Amino acid sequence: MAARDQHGPQAPWGDAFQVVGKPHRKVDGMAKATGQAIYTDDIQLPGMLHAKLLRSPHAHANIVSIDTQKARAIPGVHAVITGADLPTRYGVIPWTMDETALAVDKVRFIGDPVAAVAAVDEDTANLALNAIEVEYELLHAYLDPREALERGEPTIHANKRGNNVSKQVDLAFGDVDEALESADLVVEGDYSFHGSTHGAIEPHCAVAQVDAQGLLTLWSSTQITHYVHRALAHVLDLPAHRIRVIQPSLGGAFGGKSDPFALEFVTAKMAQMTGRPVKMLWTREEVFYAHRGRHPMQMHYKTAADKDGKVRAVDAKILIDGGSYSSFGLVTTYYSGQLLTGPYAFPAYRFDSTRVFTNKPPCGPKRGHGSVQPRFAFEVQLDEVAEKLGIDPIEIRRRNYLGEHTQTVNGQRITSNGFLECLDKVERASAWKERHGKLPSGRGLGVAGSMYISGTNYPIYPNDMPQAGIQLKVDRSGLVMVFTGGNDIGQGSNSVVAYLVAEELGLELDAVRVIAADTDLCPVDLGAYSSRVTFMVGNAAIDAARKLRKLVVQALAEKWEVPEQRVRLVGGFAVDLEDPERHVPSREAFQLAEARFDTLGSTGSYNTPTLGGDYRGGTIGASPAYSFTAHIVEVEVDEETGRIRVPKVWCAHDCGRALNPMLVAGQIEGSVYMGIAEALLENHDMNRFGLHAGPSLLDYRMPTTIDTPEIEALIVESVDPEGPYGAKEAGEGPLHSAIPALSNAIFDACGIRLRHLPFTPAKVLAALREKRAREAADASVSTSTSSTPAV
Amino acid sequence: MRVIRFVLNGDPVETAAPAHWTLLELLRYGLKLTGSKQGCDKGDCGACTVLVGGKPILACLSLAARAEGQEITTIEGLMPLHKSRGGSGADPVQEAFDACGALQCGFCQPGMMLSTRALLNQHPQPSREQIQAALSGNLCRCTGYTQILQAVETAIAQSTGAPAPQPAWARDRELQGQEPQS
Amino acid sequence: MLRLPQFELIEPSSLYGALAALAEHGPDAMVLAGGTDLLPNMKHGLFEPRMLVSLAGIEELRGVQVTSEGGLSIGAMTPLADVADHPEVRRRAPALAQAAGLVAGPQLRSMGTLGGNVMLDTRCQWYNQTHFWRQALGFCLKKDGTVCHVVAGGKRCVAAASNDSVPALTTLGASLRFERLGQARTIAIDELWHSDGANNKRTEGGEILTRIEIPATPAGHLGAYGKLRDRGSIDFPLLGMAVRLDLDDQGLVEHADQVVVALVARPVRIKGVHEALLGLRPGSADFEQALVPLAEAARRQCRPMANIPGDEDWRREMVAVFTRRTFLAAAEGASD
Repeated sequence: MAARDQHGPQAPWGDAFQVVGKPHRKVDGMAKATGQAIYTDDIQLPGMLHAKLLRSPHAHANIVSIDTQKARAIPGVHAVITGADLPTRYGVIPWTMDETALAVDKVRFIGDPVAAVAAVDEDTANLALNAIEVEYELLHAYLDPREALERGEPTIHANKRGNNVSKQVDLAFGDVDEALESADLVVEGDYSFHGSTHGAIEPHCAVAQVDAQGLLTLWSSTQITHYVHRALAHVLDLPAHRIRVIQPSLGGAFGGKSDPFALEFVTAKMAQMTGRPVKMLWTREEVFYAHRGRHPMQMHYKTAADKDGKVRAVDAKILIDGGSYSSFGLVTTYYSGQLLTGPYAFPAYRFDSTRVFTNKPPCGPKRGHGSVQPRFAFEVQLDEVAEKLGIDPIEIRRRNYLGEHTQTVNGQRITSNGFLECLDKVERASAWKERHGKLPSGRGLGVAGSMYISGTNYPIYPNDMPQAGIQLKVDRSGLVMVFTGGNDIGQGSNSVVAYLVAEELGLELDAVRVIAADTDLCPVDLGAYSSRVTFMVGNAAIDAARKLRKLVVQALAEKWEVPEQRVRLVGGFAVDLEDPERHVPSREAFQLAEARFDTLGSTGSYNTPTLGGDYRGGTIGASPAYSFTAHIVEVEVDEETGRIRVPKVWCAHDCGRALNPMLVAGQIEGSVYMGIAEALLENHDMNRFGLHAGPSLLDYRMPTTIDTPEIEALIVESVDPEGPYGAKEAGEGPLHSAIPALSNAIFDACGIRLRHLPFTPAKVLAALREKRAREAADASVSTSTSSTPAV
Repeated sequence: MRVIRFVLNGDPVETAAPAHWTLLELLRYGLKLTGSKQGCDKGDCGACTVLVGGKPILACLSLAARAEGQEITTIEGLMPLHKSRGGSGADPVQEAFDACGALQCGFCQPGMMLSTRALLNQHPQPSREQIQAALSGNLCRCTGYTQILQAVETAIAQSTGAPAPQPAWARDRELQGQEPQS
Repeated sequence: MLRLPQFELIEPSSLYGALAALAEHGPDAMVLAGGTDLLPNMKHGLFEPRMLVSLAGIEELRGVQVTSEGGLSIGAMTPLADVADHPEVRRRAPALAQAAGLVAGPQLRSMGTLGGNVMLDTRCQWYNQTHFWRQALGFCLKKDGTVCHVVAGGKRCVAAASNDSVPALTTLGASLRFERLGQARTIAIDELWHSDGANNKRTEGGEILTRIEIPATPAGHLGAYGKLRDRGSIDFPLLGMAVRLDLDDQGLVEHADQVVVALVARPVRIKGVHEALLGLRPGSADFEQALVPLAEAARRQCRPMANIPGDEDWRREMVAVFTRRTFLAAAEGASD
């Protein structure tokens, strides 16, 4: 059975780490710095065809007919396919398979793929697309999630209930109503979160090739090789062992490359049909249609608290705009409630979340999947509780601290918890005590906190096999090859694996090489999502390396006739600790072990312990370890223009242990940037036609160097008992509380509470006007009351 | 087809491309130098930045014919000569980007590093504001630009022999007596 | 990758060659300057010329010269970055230098030219999109369609003039030299515009904008450009405004002007500016007080529309704020 947590969080030899904890370079850094790294679109194969998709210009319509005759007749066109050629439904969640590679019978958003062409070049393919004739019968298009909730016909997806609900989750823990009744204070309010998208600079791309034996190889810019592998087998009706999926270098993902996509099935199918390699590279516009970004949510929250600031209960009702397909929506719906129950103790908690389908590009997982939106609402509401009770916003967060080695109200096990230290760090670094509430008008500081998962024990498809596997292969040269199914999407997971193996085997980093995300070569890993890779793949790597180390140590101990405890692998050598003169290079140590035992290698794996509450959905969001974050954001509000400038953000993040603090800081900084970006500038917005309002990197305003705040990343190490050397996640948690901290800072700056994202200048000005009107009304009321005798 | 003669990363090139090909297509698909990246299709992201006569331009909005007679530097040429050919190895900008963690997914970075190189050639010791302005046409989605600015300032420090600036996380760890930056 | 349509490329090395090519090919040919506007528009299917006449190889169209009268003569193919950095432009026409330095991002300023910016196509969120996108909503008035998505029932295109350089050039009283084979004409930049967003320029076939001439500014000339945009780089203006203040030898305003773009199809000159500021001393309390009603007057005269991104009511409010701030920025030059 898969190993877990038996390695403990300390260095393999019980004292100082040799590799871990230092800002080492990444294993692929110079390849990327010099342009040598190969990304999917860099692959150019002899005879390669170029494929393009015909997309629906209608938001909701039945397909009456498709005529591809003229397109097929164009010289240079090798294949034209429609939904009829790839009719099998798929979806990343096995319970909600509602997608097809190309539309079958109906289209559900503007941009839904309808047909595909493979031709000798892109120009010819485009010419052929124009020659395809599609007749549509238009249906009512749902753009407003509330309408989709209330109106049943037409349904976007046929379901038994005859409605447009994608998923509904209603869970309650403790007596919420009693707490709302008896608490000293209840704050209630509406909050909304808009859509945003990942914006990875690399557009999606796939290249498929079928060799003479009929083996299909797909190179794809995916962040989950394993699910693409499974989905291809399913949709193409091909045994999985006849398919090889490889993820080349990946140009960013952030959740946007988690689903299997049309281009993977279409290129594979067309490579089968034509016998030639086929590439499809999406335009930036197509990437916007593929989306799977942040779900817009309309949220209603009630927080009950006592005078001392202790939260008594939280009650949430959430409407989630899912767009046109399920994607990860089942998980999103759970996460919108399940992940709010820390870092604060809730004695009672209830949430009622409903995800509906609309005729818009499908939403899915974006960095901080499902939990960024509720976190925003709650942390702004908690700030209001603090304000009403006259408690410092940091203090109220301390008073509600959940604690470590405990359980949340919804039954999630909490191990390490460095949240208090996170608060301490940002409080000190930002000079909060001296500055909060004391800055000149228009300038302010705001705080917020959050927690996030380090993977979950919900494996997407039910199975008892490990979530992460590693194989090590030792060469007589002293080189250790690591094979991992883990997807390095830029976060540096291949480097982390190399650091861990080097640490365990006492090797220099250049004696470890990593082959990743190739289904022919690498053991399965479930992929780069839910911030699971460092935790799970890391544990598997330690597991495998420790097994190998045992063999090497044993072989040397026997050879030197000393107890095994005296043999230590360090710095590229095996050393007798009591007689350091006696040492051999790792290469020789490996050769001895190979002679002693046989061809040298090992495997390692990780699976989660049994986790989660004992109720339906209780395992979704149940993580072996949670990260914790605190943000303080400083703002300057221009009260004339309504524009918000963020000069600085402090973010302290508890990542358990920083296996490489430089990479952890990079994850924190990238998260903070992305959070502030979506709060202030970005909007994945549909116009009145249901068409994306500006599907380009000109109109979708991702911040430049000039627009990005100075970010101070502060690392907290709570050393988790089960993480690899104590590590937890760092890639998603540090986004969450940036957004509510920004809203809370705006309140400190000018007394307005922004509850509806994005924080556009127009909204800021409107809120300021409303505040002035209120103040003027209050002033006139107080004047009139003072001049009028009481009745 | 248009015959195009130019100097690419120090070497003379004679090639041909259809009139409607962009310089980016010529470099990536014609000449197979795939280090220059395509991110947005139309001049909004900067991933395709190359140097023409030392100035950063966008290859996705330049016709291939624009290369005629020019000296063009791509990321592949930023390391002008490999050590094996008697060169000095990687450009200090490349080294600094690697050493500072500025390369996450790495996709925007060829363009970012070329914009940096062009800036440093013109202003060897730019201010933080000048760096931000010079890189403001290159979008990065991974780093929040923090480690990129760190890398540029590290490359500058190296050229003057000054100590590299210390990032916030490292200062904080030093205060706690943890490992200083190696 | 989003593809360019196919075309033939003509690359003359002399102005004569370019004019001859245009004369020969007539409406089949379009002029390619820096390409930063035309090429994305072609990728969007907005233009499909059979022939492109590139001006890149014509040396005589490049460069900034100071005229004998103390004015500036700028070749239309001078890159915006060179205009922004040129010491004589910065000294004699500060608003133009600022505006050129605020166009798009650094790479596009190295590629894009001053002439290209003057000749920039109007912009609209319903127009600057791909063929697929525009087709999905049945196209629009400006291209391939008959309806306007900005103004319900609108029969005249309201795409916005979005050229950052034009407000400055207009306050500077610039004139434009157009040449066609065997002919040349020079017009005041004011005379270039139509109020039709579909084609907002009074140009004739076969013409090339060759030079931008700016008359000498007096010793007491001040100017500034204010640009409203979401990001600190890359973006087109949500509002672009140049102001001009000429001071007499006492330091009092003897001439004032203000021109705004990113509203409607043509640049808008704000009325009453000269009268409002005449005789005032920049930096004085009187000057600052006069800006308050002037800002309000400017707001009343400008009507941003939902043609380009950004809330149009907010953009209108910003006319007032930017009027005050841009005049104050110009006035700051007075204390130098």
